Amino acid sequence: MSINSLQAAQGYAALKQPKPGAESGAGDTLSRAAKDFGAPMQQAETVATQAMTSGADPHALVEALANSQLAVETAVTVRDRVVEAYQEILRMPV
Amino acid sequence: MDGLHTSTATAASGMKAQADRLRLTAENIANADTPGYRRKMTTFENVVRQGRETGQVTTGPVELDQRALDRVYDPAHPLADAEGYHDGSNVNLVIEIADAREAQRSYEANLRMFDQARKMRSALLELLRR
Repeated sequence: MSINSLQAAQGYAALKQPKPGAESGAGDTLSRAAKDFGAPMQQAETVATQAMTSGADPHALVEALANSQLAVETAVTVRDRVVEAYQEILRMPV
Repeated sequence: MDGLHTSTATAASGMKAQADRLRLTAENIANADTPGYRRKMTTFENVVRQGRETGQVTTGPVELDQRALDRVYDPAHPLADAEGYHDGSNVNLVIEIADAREAQRSYEANLRMFDQARKMRSALLELLRR
């Protein structure tokens, strides 16, 4: 029991220390999210080009397009929420 | 990768496998009258990536039906032997039609799974929108 609590305390202490080399800025997170968003789009484009030119598998095309559509929907929804929150702050009476 | 994304990928692999199966069935039906043709059979395999089963399906190597070929009586045929018979194919059209219908049903089932996974993901996003 005491060993477990000691380990937990050590774990929390280790979490508090900022990891060396790991950037924990919002910009880093955002750029990573943008890259994650770009990957399905890139894949959809590649598969669509292949399907048009070399007759690739239509199932792969549908799957890639569905994924990219969902990625766009996610991005749009998150953007709307962020803009909404920003406007909410702007409307705040000072 | 989340579960719903994996579901769509798995359903897509199932659709692809069933499409391959239907292709082999079409080949069998097209060659029903080809002398010496052996019926091709589809095999299904689990997709293993980096030593782990992904749950996706793919078609394995094609197997040939080893049942005896039909004996066709046609003395005028160039391949006919002394008694006037030659080897036909061992394609049974009734079996092929049943196989094609099964491929269709299985394809539809995979299609529904794909659609359902997509709808579930959209519904999750819809929650964020209001």
